[in-house]
Amino acid sequence: MATGTAVDVVMPQMGVSVSEGTITKWLKSEGEAIAADESLLEISTDKVDTEVPSPATGVLQQILAQEGETVAVGTKIAVIAPEGAPVERQEAPEPPTAEAAAEAEAASGAEGEAPTQQKAEEAQAPAPEPVPAPEPAPAPPAQAEEGNGRREAKFVSPVVARIAAEHNIDVSSIEGTGRGGRVTKKDILAYVEHGQAAAPAAPAEAPAPAAPEAPKAAAPAQPQEPQAGETVEPMSAMRKGIAEHMRRSLDTSAHVTSSIEIDMTRIAALRQRLKKEWAGSYGVNPTYLAFVARAVVDTLKDYPWINGEIRGDSIVTRNFVNLGFAVELADGKGLIVPVVKNAETLNLLGMAKAITDIAQRARDKQLLPDDVQGGTFTITNPGGYGTFHGTPVISQPQAAILGTYAVVKRPWVVEDEDGQDAIAIRSMMNVTLTYDHRLVDGALAGRFLRDLRERLQSWDESTE
Amino acid sequence: MAVKTYLQAISDGLRSEMQRDKRVFIIGEDVGVYGGAFKVTQGFQEEFGPWRVIDAPLSETAIVGGCTGAAIMGMRPVAEMQFADFISCAWDHLVTVAAKQRYRAGTPVPITVRLPSGGGFSGGPFHSQNPESSFAHIPGLKVVCPATPADAKGLLIEAIQDPNPVLYFEHKHLYRRIKDEVPEERYTVPFGEARLHREGDDISLITWGAMVYTASEAAQKLEEEGLSVEILDLRTLAPWDKGAVLRSVEKTSKALILHEDTHTGGFGAEIAATISEDAFENLDAPVRRIAAPDTPVPFSPPLEKAFIPQVEDVVAGLKELAEY
Amino acid sequence: MAVAREAEPVSSLTEIKEAGLDREDLLGIYRNLLLTRGIEERGHILYKQGKIPGSFYTGRGNEAASVGIATAMRPDDVGTPLHRDMGVHIVRGVEPWRIFAQFMGRADGPTKGKDGNVHMADDRLGLIAMVSHLPAMLPVAVGCALAFRIREEKRVALAWFGEGASARGDTHEGMNLAGVRRLPVVFICDNNQWAYSTPTHLEYACEHIADRAKAYGFDGVVVDGTDVLAVYREAKAAIDKAREGGGPTLIECLTLRMEGHAVHDDASYVPKEMFEEWGKRDPLERYRTWLRENAQFTDEEEEEIRGEVKKVLNDAVKRADESPMPDVDTLLDGVFANPEDLETPHHK
Repeated sequence: MATGTAVDVVMPQMGVSVSEGTITKWLKSEGEAIAADESLLEISTDKVDTEVPSPATGVLQQILAQEGETVAVGTKIAVIAPEGAPVERQEAPEPPTAEAAAEAEAASGAEGEAPTQQKAEEAQAPAPEPVPAPEPAPAPPAQAEEGNGRREAKFVSPVVARIAAEHNIDVSSIEGTGRGGRVTKKDILAYVEHGQAAAPAAPAEAPAPAAPEAPKAAAPAQPQEPQAGETVEPMSAMRKGIAEHMRRSLDTSAHVTSSIEIDMTRIAALRQRLKKEWAGSYGVNPTYLAFVARAVVDTLKDYPWINGEIRGDSIVTRNFVNLGFAVELADGKGLIVPVVKNAETLNLLGMAKAITDIAQRARDKQLLPDDVQGGTFTITNPGGYGTFHGTPVISQPQAAILGTYAVVKRPWVVEDEDGQDAIAIRSMMNVTLTYDHRLVDGALAGRFLRDLRERLQSWDESTE
Repeated sequence: MAVKTYLQAISDGLRSEMQRDKRVFIIGEDVGVYGGAFKVTQGFQEEFGPWRVIDAPLSETAIVGGCTGAAIMGMRPVAEMQFADFISCAWDHLVTVAAKQRYRAGTPVPITVRLPSGGGFSGGPFHSQNPESSFAHIPGLKVVCPATPADAKGLLIEAIQDPNPVLYFEHKHLYRRIKDEVPEERYTVPFGEARLHREGDDISLITWGAMVYTASEAAQKLEEEGLSVEILDLRTLAPWDKGAVLRSVEKTSKALILHEDTHTGGFGAEIAATISEDAFENLDAPVRRIAAPDTPVPFSPPLEKAFIPQVEDVVAGLKELAEY
Repeated sequence: MAVAREAEPVSSLTEIKEAGLDREDLLGIYRNLLLTRGIEERGHILYKQGKIPGSFYTGRGNEAASVGIATAMRPDDVGTPLHRDMGVHIVRGVEPWRIFAQFMGRADGPTKGKDGNVHMADDRLGLIAMVSHLPAMLPVAVGCALAFRIREEKRVALAWFGEGASARGDTHEGMNLAGVRRLPVVFICDNNQWAYSTPTHLEYACEHIADRAKAYGFDGVVVDGTDVLAVYREAKAAIDKAREGGGPTLIECLTLRMEGHAVHDDASYVPKEMFEEWGKRDPLERYRTWLRENAQFTDEEEEEIRGEVKKVLNDAVKRADESPMPDVDTLLDGVFANPEDLETPHHK
């Protein structure tokens, strides 16, 4: 049968173990006509010498392997074309082009991917409100390998590791009854059920990053059957992490809160003027938060302990401020606290830009791990909902957290030019400082707030 | 229901199938006039005649190969190997022809090969083996190992009914020692379904055949010490009930596999590998096997006792696992 | 010292008519011979064109033996032919295109690509597929005969084996059981004098394989395997005998393997004189001559048959070549049978 399309001639396999053949003689030359089954060439193999019949009728278009050449079984050695077909030379196959490198994955800093540096949580202890709180980084809890010399590294079996991961438990804090003192499945299941820490939990004093202590009263409620009207859903990893860190922070620091009222009238006026100017030139909003942040950074210079940290028996202070801002994530998924590093180097504009940037990146899940660690002080501003007071939870291992609340127009007693008392309409804002009384005493906190107020109330055009 | 010995259950099962289905016949050495070396077919030739209870020459290949041919022609042959050990003479036929005929030629081979297996009575190297694992490895063959009289009957009927070659290992040591309730009616036991011999929480003991009773005794002893052992009788090795094993291990997190066959490459290895692959995160201890050592079956009683896993061996193994 | 009987050639048309063949049957035999050889010759070409994977075996020189035996079988008889017995498949009615599909590993071959070359059989046609471990199918054929005996059916099983395969224990066990139980089985030994490169004197020590029959309690006969009618006559007699309860017969068909063990073997160890001598006794040529001399076989008849065979082969190769390869998804299928698989004409 004549071929309609070009047909390949391949080196046949003359026997199961034969892997190659040698072309001994071409019986036709290129351009010669050939009929199907007519002998086309002679080959020699380990087992036998034979002739190879043509698979098709047409013209021997191209010989790809020459006499004397040895090729592997299955190699294309010639092409038979239909009579009159144009000669298509076989080109050497293109070397495969280098694949484009995979795009660098955008590191998602949000959703709890941050490493182990603990952040303060702001849980409203009595009545939980939808307060935006910093997002704690849920660290993987099976920390047996982070013994740091506190306990011997003990073998953790696969099932124990799995249960520990599911319940956010630090295996090293459980007493084991297995061989060599290892924690057995029974041990960890009992622990989960009764929630007892085997050893009294010391406050976290390991060198940074601190291995999280297993929460003392962390017993999740024994699973019971849901009642009519009840819906049961499992906690997300982020929520579990938040729960754990909230508890731990309150267990660690001695939380005390002081409040002060600040007259923001001057800043309010300044904001209006700057808004137009900045929108045009910088595309950034002069928010109240930016002013407060600037004032906080300057004030912290005078109160290093409020920007400090307790480590063991020591107090750590810094000549820099890494300022964390609580950002609420969309859909009520949770909170995250990105950090503006070296905030002391920024002026008002720089601060506004930095805040805008991290807030945006937080919402877009584009924070890097570096963006959510290393904070030394945190500001949270739940005031957007109109609240005037709160007692946020400190982001460990910091010493304090500032809460700012709604700027509200209130009637206020002021002194007029004559030194007389008069009622004026002022834009008033409450702020709270929640501080760790182990380090910061009330008087210190009070002075800090007083100075902060002073700065904000005396802000003028020339203040940067 | 009636209480029967393991042997009686097999004999009755076979007899009732032969009564029910004319296509079923039995062929083997000494099965006819003599009633079989172990008397499983006692009285059969009188009832069914010499062409359904066939005394064969000493020709395992012809016996098993002949069964294949007859099966392809519509019979349901049951071959009796006098001892499971002699199956090696027909290994070639089973593996080359019977196992592969369905896959490569579309031709089913519905044969059953009965294999009196196992040791414990000084039978020596050639009358005591449990040659189950090499066959369980061959695609196309099925391997069953009943432990109880009720399972023996049900699995035999299922084997005869199954359109594939089935190797039926009947443990000689259970023939007359084990008595239990066996339903009178016709019933089958499905392949690939384990039987929970004993429920427990602390350790999953997976076993089959005569070892089920060894395991049971060991578990009983340890219950007094507060250890709760779960015993799964696999009943069939090809196919085997992976699901039941994994579910049990999920519960207890500790697995011990026990078989009378020798250790290296015994079927326990397959089970252990599967547990480690599919239940890794459920394990609180390594998967252990207790099996005979890698030797031929010795003859002299003290040697054989040291060879076949004893109750004490199982007790020790369970204890060690419990304390891990 | 030979023990088996040596068969005489067929002398006349009358004689063969007595053995049950009319003229139409005789022409049909010629067609089958041509088809048998044609398939194997085409297979050679396809193999060298790289279209047939693995290895390729033929029974060139054995066409008369295989066609002759199979022609004497009844439709409900069964058999286990081997790789030199393509003629058996042809006579029993296997479609040539399916044979090529089998060679080429296609999905429509009888084994659906699961086995290769001539390891095939259509069990609806009473043939059971061979394996490589020869003669493992011999006890199987004996088992078929056992079933017939148990059920008292007048059917016969045919078991093929080569003179080389006869050295294995399966032959002994199978024949012994058949002899002891007087089973309706006919044993066919394709003695083509070479087991790969091993000549007969290194394969067995008696004069004829057929001599062994006596040791198993039945008769043996040696026949010229290139004489299709002699083969047919002996086969018919043996099959009829078995059918009537007379027990087994061993028929040894003597031929020469005219090609290598497989296509990769050039058989250079076979003395040239043997090829020359046996070349003169080519089964197709012999039969054609006999037809001309004894049955008034005309040129027109021959042309017609040749033309028909050629067309069948062309169509078969084309159809097989165009048929699909097996789907990789079928790899794991069919290891085990389901109960429905037992609904075949044979498993009834």
